[in-house]
Amino acid sequence: MQSNSKPPVLALDGITKSFPGVRALKGVSFDVAPGEVHALLGENGAGKSTLIKIMSGVHTADTGTIKLDGREIAMTGPHEARRAGIATIYQELLLFPELTVAENVFMGHAPRTKWGALDWPAMRAKAQVLLDSLDIHDLDVAQVVGTLSVGNRQRVEILRALSQDARILIMDEPTAALTEHDVQRLFAIVRRLRERGVSIVYISHRLEEIFILADRVTVLRDGEHVATKAVKDTDNADLVQMMVGRRIESLFPKIDVPIGAPVLEVRDLVRMPQTRGMSLTVRAGEIVGLAGLVGSGRSELAQTIFGVTPAQSGEILIGGQKVSVRSVADARRLGIAYVPEDRGIQGLVRPMTVRENASLAVLSDVSRHGFIQRETEEKLANAAVRQFGIRTAGIEQIVNKLSGGNQQKIVLGKWLATKPKVLILDEPTRGIDVGAKAEIHRMMGELAGQGLAILMISSELPEVLGMSDRVLTVREGRIVAEFSRAEATQERVAEAMMGGTSHESSAA
Amino acid sequence: MSATEARAPKRLPLAPHEIVLVVILAIALAVLATLSDRFFTLDNLLNQGRLMTEVGLIAMPMTFVIVTGGIDLSVGSTMGLCAILLGYSWKNFGFPLELAIVFALLVGTVAGFINGWFITRLKVPPLIMTISTLALYRGLAEGISQAHSVRGYPEGFYLLGQGEVWGVPTQLWLLVVAIVIFAVILARTTFGRSLYAIGYNETGARFSGLPVDRIKLAIYTASGLMAGLAAWIFVSRVSTTRSDMGTGIELDVIAAVVLGGTSIFGGVGTIAGTVLGLLLIQLLKDGLALTGVKGDATIVVIGAVLILSILITNFAQRRREQGR
Repeated sequence: MQSNSKPPVLALDGITKSFPGVRALKGVSFDVAPGEVHALLGENGAGKSTLIKIMSGVHTADTGTIKLDGREIAMTGPHEARRAGIATIYQELLLFPELTVAENVFMGHAPRTKWGALDWPAMRAKAQVLLDSLDIHDLDVAQVVGTLSVGNRQRVEILRALSQDARILIMDEPTAALTEHDVQRLFAIVRRLRERGVSIVYISHRLEEIFILADRVTVLRDGEHVATKAVKDTDNADLVQMMVGRRIESLFPKIDVPIGAPVLEVRDLVRMPQTRGMSLTVRAGEIVGLAGLVGSGRSELAQTIFGVTPAQSGEILIGGQKVSVRSVADARRLGIAYVPEDRGIQGLVRPMTVRENASLAVLSDVSRHGFIQRETEEKLANAAVRQFGIRTAGIEQIVNKLSGGNQQKIVLGKWLATKPKVLILDEPTRGIDVGAKAEIHRMMGELAGQGLAILMISSELPEVLGMSDRVLTVREGRIVAEFSRAEATQERVAEAMMGGTSHESSAA
Repeated sequence: MSATEARAPKRLPLAPHEIVLVVILAIALAVLATLSDRFFTLDNLLNQGRLMTEVGLIAMPMTFVIVTGGIDLSVGSTMGLCAILLGYSWKNFGFPLELAIVFALLVGTVAGFINGWFITRLKVPPLIMTISTLALYRGLAEGISQAHSVRGYPEGFYLLGQGEVWGVPTQLWLLVVAIVIFAVILARTTFGRSLYAIGYNETGARFSGLPVDRIKLAIYTASGLMAGLAAWIFVSRVSTTRSDMGTGIELDVIAAVVLGGTSIFGGVGTIAGTVLGLLLIQLLKDGLALTGVKGDATIVVIGAVLILSILITNFAQRRREQGR
């Protein structure tokens, strides 16, 4: 592999960055050598996104220096970054779906004729040259981008970066939404770029990718630089420990509780196109983890059970009784609660107060003949604030102003107020800090101890493995594998998520 | 109890925007009263109340609709259709007048229900749906009337539009009752809370299990019913029925609601604000006319006041949502 003896092409030193209320980066240093793949690793909130936004000129650092080819530069905006040859490929791809591949690649810097009009033949020819240089032969420059797969769209983004002579390519979780086949093709492109001397900053949560692809790895935690190591000098356990700052066992305080009778049973549930016949069982006191890639149909399954998108066929049983869930109101009445993935849009009405949010799912409980009983409502909200340790100036506080962790606790409180029998948690700790995360994990354990049946969806494998009594793996709208707590290892679950597993569903 | 309760901010009886409106209203009243000695008289003010009742009644459900982030542009046309059908069914079908009135109210309700049904079931955006029925209902009214107006109602029919009860114009009592009912619903009930939740974040409201579609259907239907009621009052007040009745009234209604601080983006608004908006527009119109200002200039002043108040609201809104 590469040695890192070459002088770095880009070097950041002592970078700090504060946002109102948070110090996102505290003196972080980072550099990347020519033709190097340098992985950036850290939990949500560790400061990775802030760091790449500083590299790409979206944010300006408060202090610290940025050197390009050894010379200090002032990174005052995205324009400077582009001129310096730094391009970023974000998770959500910024393409124009109505336009062709060639048009997208050259948007904003298209070749011109001497009259100033767009030079279409030159644009197509140049796009073709770029495609050939990456050995991509199954993509037509005249295709409309909206018709392409996610993997192909990502390739268009990469071409776009190369068309601007990018020397440093920042890739933010590029494999998060890719199929296994597309992942392999992405790896091939990354290797080819490295041979050409392009430097790559690679962000991923998937540790195995880092071992396959990266030369060096830098770990951030809580805005601080933990370590930079050559990949060959480290291993999985080492990286995880650096990321979380403690052994993984202590992060997920799974309490063993007696597991009772089935509470939620789902049989052959269908809601096209994302839920294609899923069956599962969750018992009282049990935490079932639902693993799978983004887009595999996990959230869609949850929302079908919860009545947001009612099932087209199949059965749902609560406590052994067949039930009909045609709406969220039905689900709530039956004791099904869902803490959604998108806290801001689905979970809360953020411009409203803590009190108003806490009572939103139980308005009939805090009202008499349709009139809201203010005192009852305040009691409910205050109880939630106390029970979940929500840090707020008061129940009249606008929810918007609270931290992600506190917002999530309000969503949890709002749904536990419905006294559910089944609690579905969709990415319960996404985007919240480590402390709040541990609190939510502790609450999950307690709730299971009280006999609640919990179905947890999470993209963080350590969380799934740490919290679950059983792990189900979803792929392409079906449950493809089931593991007991003892059987579930990172490798086996990840393999089932990606496909190519031998564990076929025994359909719980 | 706990410390969190003690620190909760005290609620003001009026929102900041409403206080601004009260101040503007007071200034306008003072200035107009000094400019014309006919303005600040009980007779004139009660007469203004009579004139603003139709707009006021329609503005009540319109406040609900706009609080949810919707709009109903068809109210003027619905009013025209109801007025025509009131006169036509009485004169041509030989309906007793009482039945004709009930029929007109029913037509208004159905007209509103149709708007609501398309908006909730077929997900037609409210602007598109109600601009379509603005044309459709007006076309129906004109087609049915064939440019004939209906006159010669029995004397008792005019009590509502032209009479007085205890020295106050009859219809003003109706408006007062409507204001109280709508204000209580919006401020105190689960229905009112749901309207705000839908306006701020419809997805969030759905995920909370609120019956979003039923609620929206109800408010568009109420909007049609109130347009029908306004039609009845209007016919009674002007003694005749014509197909162009209520033309453009949707703009007066929406101006009053928005001036009252209801956000066109949803989530924010009160009935008290709408009432202040109504009063301000009506009294400005009247006062400026009495002081000899021409009609065109009056509209300019009202437009300026509207823009000013919206700037103030937006400023307050931005402060509320800072840190989102």
